[in-house]
Order: sequence, then structure tokens, then C-alpha cells
Amino acid sequence: MKHIKHILAIVCLCLAATGCKESFLNLNPVSNPTADNFKTRDDFELAVNAAYASLYLVYHPEGSVSYANEQMSDNAIVFNISGIQSDKWQFKDYSLATSNTMIYQFWQEYYKAIFNANIVLDKIEGASVDAGYKDGVKAQMMFLRGLYYFDMVQLWGDVPLVTTPLTGEESYGVLRSPQSAVYDQIKKDLIYAADKLPLASAITMPGRASKGAAQALLGKVYLTLGDKTSAATVLKEVYNSNQYSLLAGYADLWGPTVKNTKESVFEIQYLGGNASAPFSRYYQTFYPNNNFLGFYGGGMNQVTDDLYNEFEANDPRRDVSIALGYNNSGTFISQKYPIKWTDTKATQVGGNPLANNNFMVLRYADVLLMLSEANGDATYLNLVRTRAKLPKFGDAAYPTAKYATLDLAIEHERRTELAIEFHRWFDLKRTNRAIPVLTAKGKAITQTKLLWPIPQIVRTQNAAITQNAGY
Amino acid sequence: MKPILTYRRSWKINLIFVLFCFSFAQLYAQTNTITGKITDETGKPLPGASILVKSAKTGTISNQDGVYSISAEKNAVLVISSISFDTQEVPVNNRSVIDVSMQASNKTLNEVVVVGYGTQSKRAITGAVASVGFNEFKDRSFSNVTQSLAGKIAGVNISQSQGAPGVSPIIRIRGVSSITAGTNPLFVVDGVPLENFNLNLINPQDIESVDVLKDASSAAIYGSRGASGVILVTTKLGKPGKTTISAGYEYGTQTVARKVPLMNAQQWIGYYIDAHNNAWVDLNPAVNKASDPNSARPSTYRIPEDFITNPQQFGNGTDWQDVMFRVAPSHNAQLSVSGGTEKTQFLFSLAYLDQQAVLDENYYKRLALRSNIKHKVSDKFSLGLNLGATTIFDRTEGTQGKSDVISLAQQSDPIFPVYNENGNLGYRDPNSVWNKYVAYNDLNLWHPYSLTRFYHKQNKSFNTLATAFADYYVTDDLKFRTSISGNLFNTRLNSYRVKNQGYGYSGLLPAEGNVQSSYMLNWLSENTLTYDKQFGDHSLNVLAGYSVQKQRDEFATVTSGSFPNDLVETLNAGVVTSGSSTATEWSMISYLARAQYNYQNKYFLTSTIRRDGSSRFGTDTRWGYFPSVSAGWLISDESFMKNATFINNLKLRASYGMAGNNQIPNYGAISLLGSSNYVSGATLASGLAIGNIANTNLKWERTTQLNIGLDLRMLSDRIGLSAEYYHSVTNDMLLNVPVPDISGFSTQLTNIGKMQNRGVELNLNTKNTTGKFLWTTDFNISFNRNKVLQLGPGNAPITYTDYVVAVKTEVGQPVSNFFGYVVDGVFKNQVAVDAAPHYSTTKPGDPIIRDVNGDGKITVDDRTTLGNNQPDFIAGITNNFSYKGFDFSFMLQGSYGGEIVNQNFRYLGFWNNGRNMYASVDNRWRSEADPGDGKHFRATLGLTGLQDQFHSLWVEDASFTRLKNIRVSYTLPTSLMSKTPFRVARVYVNAENVYLWSSYTNYDPENTTYGASNYSSGSNGLNASGNAPNGAFIGVDYGSYPLPRSVTVGLKLDF
Repeated sequence: MKHIKHILAIVCLCLAATGCKESFLNLNPVSNPTADNFKTRDDFELAVNAAYASLYLVYHPEGSVSYANEQMSDNAIVFNISGIQSDKWQFKDYSLATSNTMIYQFWQEYYKAIFNANIVLDKIEGASVDAGYKDGVKAQMMFLRGLYYFDMVQLWGDVPLVTTPLTGEESYGVLRSPQSAVYDQIKKDLIYAADKLPLASAITMPGRASKGAAQALLGKVYLTLGDKTSAATVLKEVYNSNQYSLLAGYADLWGPTVKNTKESVFEIQYLGGNASAPFSRYYQTFYPNNNFLGFYGGGMNQVTDDLYNEFEANDPRRDVSIALGYNNSGTFISQKYPIKWTDTKATQVGGNPLANNNFMVLRYADVLLMLSEANGDATYLNLVRTRAKLPKFGDAAYPTAKYATLDLAIEHERRTELAIEFHRWFDLKRTNRAIPVLTAKGKAITQTKLLWPIPQIVRTQNAAITQNAGY
Repeated sequence: MKPILTYRRSWKINLIFVLFCFSFAQLYAQTNTITGKITDETGKPLPGASILVKSAKTGTISNQDGVYSISAEKNAVLVISSISFDTQEVPVNNRSVIDVSMQASNKTLNEVVVVGYGTQSKRAITGAVASVGFNEFKDRSFSNVTQSLAGKIAGVNISQSQGAPGVSPIIRIRGVSSITAGTNPLFVVDGVPLENFNLNLINPQDIESVDVLKDASSAAIYGSRGASGVILVTTKLGKPGKTTISAGYEYGTQTVARKVPLMNAQQWIGYYIDAHNNAWVDLNPAVNKASDPNSARPSTYRIPEDFITNPQQFGNGTDWQDVMFRVAPSHNAQLSVSGGTEKTQFLFSLAYLDQQAVLDENYYKRLALRSNIKHKVSDKFSLGLNLGATTIFDRTEGTQGKSDVISLAQQSDPIFPVYNENGNLGYRDPNSVWNKYVAYNDLNLWHPYSLTRFYHKQNKSFNTLATAFADYYVTDDLKFRTSISGNLFNTRLNSYRVKNQGYGYSGLLPAEGNVQSSYMLNWLSENTLTYDKQFGDHSLNVLAGYSVQKQRDEFATVTSGSFPNDLVETLNAGVVTSGSSTATEWSMISYLARAQYNYQNKYFLTSTIRRDGSSRFGTDTRWGYFPSVSAGWLISDESFMKNATFINNLKLRASYGMAGNNQIPNYGAISLLGSSNYVSGATLASGLAIGNIANTNLKWERTTQLNIGLDLRMLSDRIGLSAEYYHSVTNDMLLNVPVPDISGFSTQLTNIGKMQNRGVELNLNTKNTTGKFLWTTDFNISFNRNKVLQLGPGNAPITYTDYVVAVKTEVGQPVSNFFGYVVDGVFKNQVAVDAAPHYSTTKPGDPIIRDVNGDGKITVDDRTTLGNNQPDFIAGITNNFSYKGFDFSFMLQGSYGGEIVNQNFRYLGFWNNGRNMYASVDNRWRSEADPGDGKHFRATLGLTGLQDQFHSLWVEDASFTRLKNIRVSYTLPTSLMSKTPFRVARVYVNAENVYLWSSYTNYDPENTTYGASNYSSGSNGLNASGNAPNGAFIGVDYGSYPLPRSVTVGLKLDF
């Protein structure tokens, strides 16, 4: 029995030495925080920033609104890019298949973005943070949610309307809501946002949504719904808020260090120079698909001659917006591409230039053009043209022969002023001009192709989700 | 089997037994000195035989000449034993010289098999365990011992995914039991369980045996890590007696025996011209003509003038495979010193492998040091330390698929020369006449040298694996063992990309330097009690144990750019542009127990249970039990079998057990926040977003398996047959269950699926001749049928897609069916197009896509199952011939009935932005009158007929037969050796991967660019995108490294 005691002693020693405790198995991740937060104001700041970071995907140079507005319109095509090329070409060709992997990716990105806003809205309700802060955060999240749903409803029509975080099981029960219900939610969100958000001048963190941003977006929503009166009212409020103005020259708007100017209404913030920071990808992605600068251009949104020729001959905006081609080891290659987001000095890491250019989702020129569209008054349009040093609509020198009506003038002005800023296709849809204009340009567009298909995989997962007509 | 102890192999058991029990005997006995010689049946001296005095406490070992000397009483009885021979008891009877001739025993029954936390004689094995000894791989040239086992063990599919030196094979034991979790077997090195261990770190020459636990009842002792089988590696230890010094040297060459036929410059130019002209005419058939000059065409449709005016100047061009592949030499030097006394045994070894790779500039150098020592402090107490230190310097490329050097070289256009007129690599040299081609976006060159010679890389790995143990005999029957083990693994990868890369890459890239380092420390503390006792006819062995294990992995990377020139390649010369470090941990506590019982060494019963707790699993499901039970019946020992003398051995085995699979990400159960930063003005605004849904109920997959085995040896052991049937069901299979994306997530890791593997394994060993000319044949064949029984909610099929290739898993089918369109040839003409259902933009010369669902349209619903990588059966056959000092053997190995995805078809099967193509593409559709071979489509830039979708032409038969190995060796006769200082000298020639019979288009049907799912560090191969597990894409070849043929010549000397 003496031995047994020895053994027990040894065993006990060994057990003690190796820490035989349940806590030995409780290992928290070393390099990731866990999702057990959402308590303090700091926690919410982190979550709010993550919700804003969703903009990087949605407004990615190869994101949904880029494909829709540039590829599906007459502005641009795509050359020589990696991935499933046929899936990418289906946009410009109007041959979108339900199996298109890009469409599915966009669908996922939007709902991820909406989750990131919804989780904040959900968690902040019960959090002990001060009421003013709470309202401000909610307003920002609703602005983002409104923005995302507004894109989605324009792309897909009826979409599942998710306004709270859902479990996997719950999400089987949420089917497509009619467009009208989606728009109601968008309006509700944006009205709340416009009510609670501070004026641009009171924003302390550049890039955060302002009252003007919510109002400008709401104006666009009203325009899209055909409610020009409401649009005019809310846009006029932006106009009268004295928060915004056009910069002196169109070229002043662009450049890696031009950020959050007086003309900017809502702007996505990027930080160049560091591979682990959110750097700007527009420069690289819009470069022709060749690597004469030491990096591969993405060949995305290569400008059509049609867009190039839309500019009036002496329009200074043309050469600020579009390059004619590039010089490849002494040989000039003729291929037009967008240059608004150029950052030639960007540090290159791993074949990527880490550019610093921001991207404006809403800017004052857009607001002014919408205001003219809403109230039929060319004054605001002409502010934009005056900045471009072009004759005003109504002046003798205006190319009236081509753009006889104010509507056509606005269409022309929006296309040139806002070239490759992801507006064109939505503009044409909003004004019911998509089919006539794009058919004339040789696009195989039809009424049903004004909406994207619901991704096949979404319907495989949940058979109760319906498909859009024509797919 | 000696029933008292559990130890490595029988000779060791005998030895230990001797040392243990009888070391003080001399003090008390009235003794004479007895000498003698131990020989085998043929009279050859038998070294290392154990001679012990029965019922006393003395023993010794015969020396190299079989001679022994021992003190014993005049009336004592000597017990003489040696591995592979029947033990004899010889009464001394006052003699002082006793020579003994030993009879070869029924080898297989007395061999000892390592079974985890102990050993068992083969006789007592009740599960399905395969054991391979050193002799079976000693002359093989592979750096990883498991590579030498391919084709040798029934039920163990060892497949070499990439031919680069140092790449471990994919091992699947009895099929695959998981979709999401890792499927690599557990490696146990000298008792230390190591998940996803790289066996290249253990020099095969140091390995005594490799034992494979195939069935769940055997593996259950490893609990939550045993479901994919367990591979136990045991390193050598010296024997008491004269010190043996062994030296060996091997020289080898490797070659690529099977190149892929690619287009030459003329064929490629022909395609290029056709593609551009066809696309140009398609653009506006009414106006555009193939004869239109470049000036009339936009840049996309332009053709270099030289292609039209003087294509002959390019000749046949360059086959880039010839540029990058070479005949590669290898050297392997080994030195080991082993021996010891009755108290202390040791083995020191040193080995240096210097292997050039067949790929330019690639190499693999390994220095392996080992020191194994065991020392007996007293009768009751012994200590030991096994220490292995391995250093590997290597440069290994070409294994990462389509963007790695081998695949890129295949894709490079043949028109370019190896060097331009300036001695630079490519047409991007601004001063070269070739520079004019930069105007054409669809010309491609990724010169292999731009990646191998102008991109400097070296990987350094350092591994130390140490196990210290102490055994204490509390009583003669009860042993306590405690051990502490540590495995420390560090790597450092330095790389520097030279500015502009010699003008040979697809672009002029700035210089860039990168350093990556990783660190892994795994420690294990293990304590076991073993009780071993014989009660008359009853024998009992009980094991109880407790172990704690923890691992931490760290990874860091730093990148610099903006180097002023290429003179200094360390990062200080540039500007650091990015850096990161991460770490993860896991821990595990285990309790284990096993009882082995036998009656009359005839009826065997084993039962085990293990309880594992792991940090990886949900807080609510952290602990799991893994029980097993097995039984064996040695029928041939029954009295009623006495008359069946032609049967030497007949045994029936049955087992049932449960093992788990814990190979999921370390924090798979936890909802993690991922960095999702935003920016405000010029500062970073830190953000955190929820990355996945938590699952606090996450637990291991549980595999239960029934195994029934029959072993038969008959006709004086001339024929040996072993047959196994197994049926395993994996429950709680981990799946990333799809959830509707509107939740913000696509999947949630959940225990929900169920999978089945059933199979039959046959082993047949025959001695075709006996006597001086010995011919033996070992044949094995195994069949496995894998079937998914249950998936997520509604049994929704799971489809993963990576680079167009889709694999679909559905209930009732084997896991990961290839899923795509069926191509029934090529449309001959417009009439044929119009007559058949077709994709809207289809033109003559495009693929005929089968309307699988018959709805008259070609849609995604027409995709169907195109095949599966899992073979119907695998087989191996080895023939050994020996005559006098000569040994000759050859092995054929094969896999039959599986399919492989040749994903390279996506680049090499049709136009893909100007890449080179298979030579067979020259047999394409050119016109209605010249429709080609029906497999290759019309040349065009736009892909109008779903060519680039995953379809049946990408799927090929993966069946193959391989002449895997040929060996010839000659041992110099003793008569000759006696005049030299050497005791044994042997020369041999060994050839691996000698010949392949396969219809596969690319390099090798064993190639797969995606490896087994592996959530720990050090995975090899391409990573699937999204949350698709890599293992789902096993059998997809997206650019691979050929398996070289290697021939080595070696010399081994003992002195």
C-alpha cells in the first residue's frame, strides 16, 4: 500500500503541475475580439465604423452600383479582367443569368451591410448610453440602411426587407416585400436621419452622415418615386442650408488629397499609403488592364467613345474625367479610361497602388441638378454649367439643337458632370429614358431587364423567394 | 507475446525483461560460464538474440557473430529468443558450450504492434491495425516515410498531390468522413499526438516502424482526434551489445518523365489569328472581314503584323516546360551510432539530405539529428529521452496552382525566346526589338526565370521534438509512466522580388521584400498506469491515463517596398509598407482507459474509453466520451482445428468503436469580431464587425465504426490472407450550414450532417518459392464507398465553387461530386445550332451543351454530376525476389474509377486572353468542312457558348497504374567483408515513379492543387475562396507540380 501512496502523490503532483482545471480549456481568441461587446460608447463607435466600412463594398469600383450605372448604361465597358469574365460581361450585354456570381456577391454584400447597421440599431436600444448619442447613432445607421435599400430597390425591385438582426431560422420567414413597402421604409429611415443628424458644419468626424446628406438622398428617393414636389422641398432645404457650395473649378474636386470639400455632401473616406488601412481602389481598378505602371489595372469602366463624345467640345470636365489612352513603354495605347481618382504617387504594395482618393456618393452639383429636375427651374443646372465655364441653358450658345428641353439638358449635364460616379443607369431609369436611350446605343434592354434577377442560389436556399419577371 | 510488459517490439520486450528482472541474479547464484553460438536454420549467425536464465535474473545478447557468454547454474534452463524466431528453452545439463539453432517462427503472430499508449502482439490485435517495419522502406528515397507506404497498406490511400520535394502526401484512411472538418489522420510520434504533423521532419532512416490504426475501435484511444485514423511513428533505439556504426550515402537524379504537350509557336499563332479574325467578323458580320487590316480594327482585334507576314521567323518557339524543368541531383548521407549496455541503450543519428528540385532554382535541404537514450536507474525505475532536431532549408514553388511558376509557364506564349537580344528575359525590356509586342494586351509571358531567378526566396524551418519519460514499477505488475513532450517549430520565409524581374514577368513590378515567420509550441504531459498480470489462463492488461496538451501558433509578416536598388535585399533597405502578426491557441485535457483481456491466448477482448475536453468546442459541449470494444478469436488454436494442419493460423476479429474529429478552426464555436476599419479625414477610425455566428453547442464529429476481420495463414505460411469489412457512420458532421444571406451571413458552423463509409480490404501475401531463390508477393486491394446520409435543414445540397469549378454534395451521393454542364461535342454548323437547345449566343464551333432536364433551354438547371475523385478501388502489388545477396523488388500501384478535374482546361483548353494552349487545341473546329476532333472549340476572343463554364471536358478519368518502385540491392558476402573493417556492406539502386499509365491530359492524375482541409498552420496548396473547405476540392488540378521520376544509387556500410 505504500506504493499506492507514492503513486497517488506522483499523480497529484503531475496533475497540479499541468493545471488540470476546466479553465485550462477556456481559451479566448488571441488575435480576434469576441462578439460579446456592445455595451459602452466605445463599443458602439467600433460597430458604427464597421457599418460605415460596408460602403467600401457597396461603392467598390467593381461593386454593384458601378456595374449597374456604368456597365449597363452607355458609359463604359470592361476589358480583360480576372474572375469569371462572362459573368462580368453579362452586365453590359444585358444577358444577366440567375447564376451570375457577381449578382449573388452583391446581394450578400448588401445584406451584410444592412446587418452591420441593424445590429447597432438593435443593440443600442437597450444600451446605457446618453440619449443624444443614441439618436445620433440611430440616425446614422438609418441613413446607411436607407442608402443601401434605395440601391437595392432600384436594382432588384422587391427585396426582403430586414430591419432587425435575424437568426438563420428567422430569415427563412422573410420574403420579398413590394417595392412600395421598401420605399416606405427608406423614407422612414431617411426622414428620421434628416431629423436627428447634425448639419454638415457640426460634423466632427469627417465622413459621418449629415442632415444634408439625408435630405439630398431623400430628395433623390422622392424623385425616383415621381414625387417632385416633396423632392423639391427637401432639396431646397439643402440648398438653403448654406452648408454646401460648388468649388471654383471642376478640377478642384479631384485628387488624392482633395477631401470633404464644401461641395461634398456624402463622401466615402479612404486612407492611402498603408496596405492594412482601407486604401482607395478606384485608381487601380479603372486603369486599363495592363501593368505598365508596375501594377495591374483592373480594366473596369473603360470609357466608351459615346460618353467621351457626350462632352461639349470645350467642356473642361472631359479631360479632367477621361484619359485617351496610356503610354506603354513608349507605345501609346488608345483606350479611354476614368481618371478622377488618380493617385500617381501612391505607394505600391503587392502590386496594388495604395491610393488616397475619396469617393463622393452625393455631391452638391448632383443636388443642384436634382433640384432643377424637381422644380423645373434651370437656375440650378446653370450654376453647374457656369462652374464648367459653359454657356447656360437658355443662352444662345447652349447646344439647344441637341438638348432642346430642360429634361434633356439635365440628362446631358448629369452624364457629363457626374461621369463614372455611378449615376447614369439609375438616372435613366428614374426618368424613364433607359429603354429609348440605351436601345439606340445598341443595348439589348427590355422592360424586364430594368431589374436584376434574384440570384438563383437565394431561391435554392429558400424556395419561397420569387424571381423577377423575365428571368 | 510476453504477457508482462507492453513495449515496442518483442526483442525489446525480451531485453527489457531480462534487464529488469535478473540484473542482480549473479550475486546469489552458483554459476558456470556457458558460451555458445546462436544460428538460424541455415547456420547463419544470429546476432541480437536474447539468452536468459529461466527463473534467475540474468540475461545477455548474442553478438554480431551469434556468440554469447552467460553465467548459469548447472541445472538451469536457458531461454533463447529472437525476433522472428520461436523461443526455445534449453536445459544446461552441466554443459559449458551450448550452440542453438533457431527455427523461424510464425512471424506475424509474435510481431509487436504499436497500438497507442502501449503495444500488442499481432496475436492479440482485435482491431484493424497495419504495421510497416523499417525494412520495408529502408531503401526508398522519399523524405517523408508515408510516401514510401503508398500502395502498401489496404484501406490507406496515400496520394502525392504535388511532386515538389518536401510536400507531404494526402492520406485518407478508409475514405473521407467529413465535409468541413480536416481529414488528415492523427500523427503520433513516439507517443506524442500531433495534429497535421509534417512527417518530413522525421528522417525515415530513424524510424523503427509505422503503425496505422484504421478502425474506430483502435483509434478510440485517441478520442476526439481518431476519426480519420491514426499513424503511429516509432523511432529507433540501440540494442545492448557491440556498438553499431552505420553509414550510408545515396546519390540520385530526378526528372520530369511526362511533359504536357502544348502548342508550338506556329500552332499558337494560327490560333491567335483565327481568334482575332473570327471575333472581329462576329462583331459585325455584315461589314467586317477577316482580311481587314489592323488600321481598320480597334486594338482588341489587332494582330501583330509579324504573325501574318512572317510567322516562320518564330520557328517552333519555346516550350517553357523545357526552360523550367531540369534533371535534378540529390545527395543523402546518413550516419548513425547505436548500441548500449543492459542498463543504457542509445541511438545517435545524423542525416543530411540535399535535394535539388526538378524546378529551376528550387531545392530541399534537410539536416536531421536524433538522440534517443534510455537508462535504467534501478530495477524499478528507468528514464529516457527521445530528441529529434531537424532543420530544413528549402525553396518550394509551383505547388500553388494557376498563378505559380509551373502553371504560368504552361500558360506563357511559345513565341518568345528564352533570352532576348539584350540577354534579358522578356519583351517588356524597353530596349529590345521584342518590346513592340507590349502594344498587344493579349500576349502573355510569365518567364519561369522571372519567378525563380529574379525572385529570391528561402524558407527555413527548425523543428525540435523531444519526449522525456520515466517508468516506475510500483510492483512487478503495476507500472507508472510519466512523460513530458515538447514540439517547437519555427519557420522563416525571406523573399525579395528584384525590380522589373528581368523584364520577364507580365509586368514591370517594383522591388518588394517580405519576411514571414511562424512559431509553434506544442507541449504534452502524459501520465499512465499500466497493470499487467497473468492469472493462470487469464491475462489482463489495464491502462489508465491522463494527459494535458496545449499548442500555440504565432505568425508574423512584414513587407517592404521602395528599395533604392537591388543591392540590399533585407527589409531595412526599403520602406516597410505593411506588417501583421497573429496568434492562436488550443488546449486539451484527456482521460483514457483500456482493458485488454485474454483467455489462453486464444480469446481476446479489448475495451477502451477516452474522455476529451477541448478548447475548440462550445462551452456547453466541451467534453465528449469515445468508447470502444473489440474481440478476437484465434480459431486455429482450438482443438477442433488440430487436424487442419494446412492452416497455420486463423483468426476472427470484430470491433466497434467511436472516434471523434476535432479538426475545426480553433475558435470555430465563438462569434469573432473582425477588424472592419473606416477612415475619418486623415485618420483611421477603428471598426469591428461580427464575422460569424456563434455556436455554443459546437462539438466534434463522431464516427462509429464496425470492423470485422479475418486473418488466415496456411500451407506452412506460404499463403497469408487478411480480409476486413468495415462500416462507419459519422454523426454530428460539421457543416457550414447555409443560412439565407439576408441574415447577413451565408453559413453557420453546425453539427448536423451524417455520412457513411463502407468498405472491404484484402491483403494477400504469398511465398511463391522458398529456398535459396525466394519470391514473395504482397498484394492489397481496397474498396470504399462513401455516401452522405444527411445534410443541413431540408437536406439542401451543398455546392462550393472555386474558379468556376463546382463541387456538390447531396444526400445519397459521395461527398464532393463534380457538378457542371455536359458537353456533347461541338456544333458543326448553324443548322446544328438551330436544331438543338442552345445558349443564346452560341455559334457554330461552340460546345454542344446537353439539355439535361429536357426543357428545350440551356440553363443552370442543366448542370449535373460529372464525376467524383474518390476511386472505386485502390490496389498495390509488390514482388520481392532474393537470391544469395541479391534482392530485387518492384511495386505496381493504382487507383481506379475516380475522376479528376483538369481545371487547367480553363486556361489551356480554349482562348483565355492569349495564353498558350494544349497542342490538341490545334484539332479545333475551323469550319463546317474542318470540324476538328469534337472537343476543341472554334477560336474566338469572345466566349459565346459557355466554353468557360465548368463542363464535362474539364473532367477526366483519374484512374492510373503506376510502376511505383523498383529496387535492386546486393549485400556483399560475409566472406568478402571479413577482410574489411566493415561488417555489412550493401549497394542498391532504387527507382521511384518509374512509369505511369494514365490517360490524364495534365501532369499526373494524383495531382490536386487543393489539399485536405487543415485549419492548423502549414497547410499546403491552393486555398479555396470564401468558407469553402479545401478538402471539398481534392481532385481538382489547377496547375500542379509533376511527380518526378527519381533514381537513386546507394551504399550502406555497418562497422
